Amino acid sequence: MSTPRRTLIELAAFGLGVGALVAVITGDHNIHRGAYAALTLGVGWGFTGTGLYAWTRQPTNNVGPLMIAVGFAGLLKALAFSNNSVIFTIGSLCELLIYALLIHLLLSFPSGRLDSAVDRVLVAIAYFNTTVVQLAAFVLNDPRAGCSQCPANPLLVGKSDTAAGVISAAQLDIAIAVLGAVVAILYRRWRDSSPDQRRGFAPVLTVGGLSFVLLMASLIVEQAGLSGSIDDGLTLALFGTLACLPFAFLTGLLRFRFSQAEAVSSLVGRLGDGRGRGSLRDALAEALGDPEVELAYWVPSQVAYVDADGQRMHPTPKGKIATIIEHEGRPVGAIVHDADLADEPDLVQAVGAAASLTLENERLGAELRAHVDELRASRARIVTAGYAERQRLERDLHDGAQQRLMALGINLRLARDLVTSDTEEAAALLDASLDELNQATRELRELARGIHPAVLTDRGLNAALNGLAGRSPVPVELVATPDERLPSPVESAVYFVVAEALTNVARYAHARGVRVTVVRSNGHVDVQVSDDGVGGADPAQGSGLRGLSDRVAALDGRLELRSTGGDGTTVRATIPCG
Amino acid sequence: MGKTVLIVDDHPSFRASARRMLESDGYEVVGEAADGTTALAAASELRPDVVLLDIRLPDLDGFQVAERLAANGTSPAIVLTSSHDGSDFGDEIGASPAHGFIPKSDLSAEAITVLIR
Repeated sequence: MSTPRRTLIELAAFGLGVGALVAVITGDHNIHRGAYAALTLGVGWGFTGTGLYAWTRQPTNNVGPLMIAVGFAGLLKALAFSNNSVIFTIGSLCELLIYALLIHLLLSFPSGRLDSAVDRVLVAIAYFNTTVVQLAAFVLNDPRAGCSQCPANPLLVGKSDTAAGVISAAQLDIAIAVLGAVVAILYRRWRDSSPDQRRGFAPVLTVGGLSFVLLMASLIVEQAGLSGSIDDGLTLALFGTLACLPFAFLTGLLRFRFSQAEAVSSLVGRLGDGRGRGSLRDALAEALGDPEVELAYWVPSQVAYVDADGQRMHPTPKGKIATIIEHEGRPVGAIVHDADLADEPDLVQAVGAAASLTLENERLGAELRAHVDELRASRARIVTAGYAERQRLERDLHDGAQQRLMALGINLRLARDLVTSDTEEAAALLDASLDELNQATRELRELARGIHPAVLTDRGLNAALNGLAGRSPVPVELVATPDERLPSPVESAVYFVVAEALTNVARYAHARGVRVTVVRSNGHVDVQVSDDGVGGADPAQGSGLRGLSDRVAALDGRLELRSTGGDGTTVRATIPCG
Repeated sequence: MGKTVLIVDDHPSFRASARRMLESDGYEVVGEAADGTTALAAASELRPDVVLLDIRLPDLDGFQVAERLAANGTSPAIVLTSSHDGSDFGDEIGASPAHGFIPKSDLSAEAITVLIR
């Protein structure tokens, strides 16, 4: 909460408190001035102060603002003791608002939210009863009728004892019913709480429940027409418990804070004893009170979160929130927890900070498993690709050069038979045989180049890339190539990255030109093939790029594809080269 | 009049050489087919005396074509051929209704004549 807002609230509470004090002390229609004055300030300033503390500690939790509202309502209520008719009217209209706010506060403690529909309905009825119904009764009631010292009612539109009585009786019945339901809900909440939760709830529910019991008793006494010392006694007792209530809230909040410290302390102890995978998750689940807690480990090399088994995972599944945990300024993972814990960011952060070192250790394990999984998949793909490549080679040889050589054999045998009897036909057969032979040679050359280009071995990357550029149907600009020879596996990987990229450009890109850059720097070779074509390439489609990615990954390198529709395609490979 | 022949092979250069070889030795090549399905239709229509049948075809393989030709009752003399060696096919050649197998590297009109005699 900002300092100006806090100061404003404090000044308003102080001013209103002084006004209420003056109203109580100077009011002619009050027989317990001293007690009311003390209790009014106790309730008003007590709630406002503890509310400010709660709001500061948990800015996203509505408990703080609600407590402040209760404090102001408590001060406003005291204005009903004023001799001034306007101030008296304001106080009278706000007289019961504090109870609706208290119902709202108690039913929403400690999350600040009304979780069930029943809670929301009860609170709505309470607000309606203490504002709209209160106003309806007030405009028909002349307070001086039963209180000779009370000031006039400026909102009186027509005195009607019958109508005012009916409305007041209905208001009383509604109030008793709502209070009964609230007490029942608070009892059930207490009964269903865990021992840890009860430590936080105990002061609030005890004092709050007692306040409502006293209020209900006071209303029943009023409904029964009893007055005098019983009514006064109940009212004073009610005010007394209300004055204690903010401190009960404060105690509850402190206990929750203490409970958080205990949770962190217990977590640290468990982490020391923890053995094996899953122990960290279990310890965090216990510390946060969320059995469904999951851990997501950050793997920078994959720019992704993985689970403990190294499998990729989405860090924020539906209904969950991920709190990022850092260690030495770097993200190491995320605690994926129930959305309800969003109200306790301090707890989650404290627990995360306590666990960050262990989380970092487990992250390294998860990262290793993710790499192993990736390597296993890559190895399987390489083996599969190897089989497929051998099948393709066999098919290419069978369908190409082998068939031509078979035909060549037949032609030569025929030519041999005809060479003496029909020299002209024999010569024609020999010409056809030469054509077959030339064609077979060309096909074998292409095939050999696909297996491993001889020019790459003999004359290096520069010459081999020039050859690729020369054979490409799309104009290629070789921007840069390394002058020196690189290790053979690196040269081979670079060559095939460029070859595959150029093949894809020719097939799919509809490009006017391609730029190829191969630069060696800082222990890496950076290969970049960029075209000005239509873009929109999908790396998931086709096995060519995936095979290349595996080939590059086998050298601890990375292959990336950037291809947006209408903006060309860039294939980039970074390969370590010491 | 020489025997009529249907050449079944998916490589045009081989079909052309085989046609030249067979015709020079007195065979009459009545048709060519590039796959098994076309071969079955052509055999049914042309009723050749001999079918020179490559084993490796794009759709049906040569063994399947031979079995269907035999089942159809057209019963031409079937000569299986391949650029592979006969041993590559195990006992499949012996089990097929074909008259026999000649590797493409040894293929000649005389070899066919001897086989179908």
